[in-house]
Amino acid sequence: MKLLEKTNRTYFLVSGTAFVVAGAVIYFVLSFIFKDQLNENLLSDIDSITRTIERNGIVPNYYPFIEVKEVQAQSEKPLESLDTLIFDSTEKENILFRQISTVKTVNGKKFYIAARDTLLEKSDLLLTIIIITGSVFILLLISLYFINRKLSLKIWKPFYKTLDDLKEFSHDKPGFRLSSFSQLDEFTELNETLDKLTQKVITDYQSLKRFTEDASHEIQTPLAIIQSKLETLLQYPDLKKDQAELMNSAYVSTLRISKLTQALLLLTKIANDQFPEKSMINFSELIEEKVKIFEDYVNEKSLILKKEIRPECFLETNFFLAESLIMNLIGNAAKHCNTGGTINIVLDKNHLEISNSGTPLPVPSSKIFERFYKINKSSDSQGLGLSIVKEICSLNKWQVKYEYENGLHNFIVVF
Amino acid sequence: MIVSAKNSLDDKIKGLDMGADDYITKPFHLAELNSRIKSLARRRQAEGTNELVFNEIKINIDSGEVSVNGKLIDLTRKEYEILLYFIVNKNKLITRESIAEHVWGDNISYVDNFDFIYSHIKNLRKKIDLNKGKNYLHNIYGIGYKFSER
Repeated sequence: MKLLEKTNRTYFLVSGTAFVVAGAVIYFVLSFIFKDQLNENLLSDIDSITRTIERNGIVPNYYPFIEVKEVQAQSEKPLESLDTLIFDSTEKENILFRQISTVKTVNGKKFYIAARDTLLEKSDLLLTIIIITGSVFILLLISLYFINRKLSLKIWKPFYKTLDDLKEFSHDKPGFRLSSFSQLDEFTELNETLDKLTQKVITDYQSLKRFTEDASHEIQTPLAIIQSKLETLLQYPDLKKDQAELMNSAYVSTLRISKLTQALLLLTKIANDQFPEKSMINFSELIEEKVKIFEDYVNEKSLILKKEIRPECFLETNFFLAESLIMNLIGNAAKHCNTGGTINIVLDKNHLEISNSGTPLPVPSSKIFERFYKINKSSDSQGLGLSIVKEICSLNKWQVKYEYENGLHNFIVVF
Repeated sequence: MIVSAKNSLDDKIKGLDMGADDYITKPFHLAELNSRIKSLARRRQAEGTNELVFNEIKINIDSGEVSVNGKLIDLTRKEYEILLYFIVNKNKLITRESIAEHVWGDNISYVDNFDFIYSHIKNLRKKIDLNKGKNYLHNIYGIGYKFSER
């Protein structure tokens, strides 16, 4: 829920309740005052009627407002008040009247005197109050809404600016600064804190990146030495089989470390966006060329390789990354394909699909792109190939997905 | 010849542009280094025929022709490259990894198994044998091969 929506909703609820309560109070107070005033008026009416009869002997009669009748049988009665319905012949409906009546002796004669006045009907009063308070309520709400909106947009502007800036933030953009500054202390503080935080993230990232690069370069030199020493050792003429095997095992592991550091360096470089040069690359040709590298491997493992490569599919990207993407995907399919199984490669202008037959994954497929994820823990594979694929795709804003269908592990890259 | 840990294409191009004849990245196989140095040395020796000879086997580097006892034999591209690699590194144990990377390129490390080399070695052996050559290609403990008289 947006901030504006939330405040508006609160305003609406609170002022709505306040208006209902206020309306009820107004209703009761008003009806009490009205009744009281009416009673006073009617009492003074009775007084003036009595005086008129006393002075002039005229018996006034304005039915239904004033009714005076001479009565014999009755004794005097004190004042009594009541509400009564009287039929109005002009309006043809019963109208509610407030009536005060008495029986009095005036000039020796007994009179029944009643003074009446129309009572404002309860429903009319209620309706009037509802209309008045309701319209004030709506007016207030509308003005609150606009004031709130204007204020929010103005006050929160720096906040939204900061938010937009932060969305652009990436740890590998060294020039990033939070630009907006507000007159409000809270936002200034927020910006300062966030600015400090982002700068820290950037410097940490830079040093991490330098460390990774330096480390992988520095590792290559001693590895080269170990590797050549082992190769030299392997040249000794009188080597026993077990000695040679031990050396070879060390040698093969050295090769693996070397590949591993290279793969890690590649991942770091992709994350740092260190492949800015782009050109139009003929993916169709590139794939055909790379497939050839695997031909002997594929034959040895009795795999069936099917290709559906549409010619002249060009994509603008970095050549090295395109090569790496294709090699990793084909390499992955070749490695994990069951002996005698099938590899399918489909390319058209919009997507690349590489699949291989095999048993389903023992774990959720979402893990497949994770670094160092290996199906077979003891396998020689680094578990980095598919993370490299994923990084290359996200760098190029391509989508990559994995699905298992009809016994096929299928990797789809949507350009 | 530049030997460096930097393996990006840019670094290689920069090195070659500066006048280097070759660029090899660390770590490397000794056989690979040896092969490249010899190749450079051959290029430098302008005079004479560009030929490699091992007993009765003769390789003409310029034309790519291979003969055993003066008789031309027909080798595939890969068999030729394997043979050349072996003769340049004769009497040395060459690991399977080294052969794979030399002949199939660095990219071959994307696969997990180099058994496919064996069928090429077998064919190569057969082609040399058919022409009354000796078996010079020895498998050493399943680690690699050595090209030698014994």
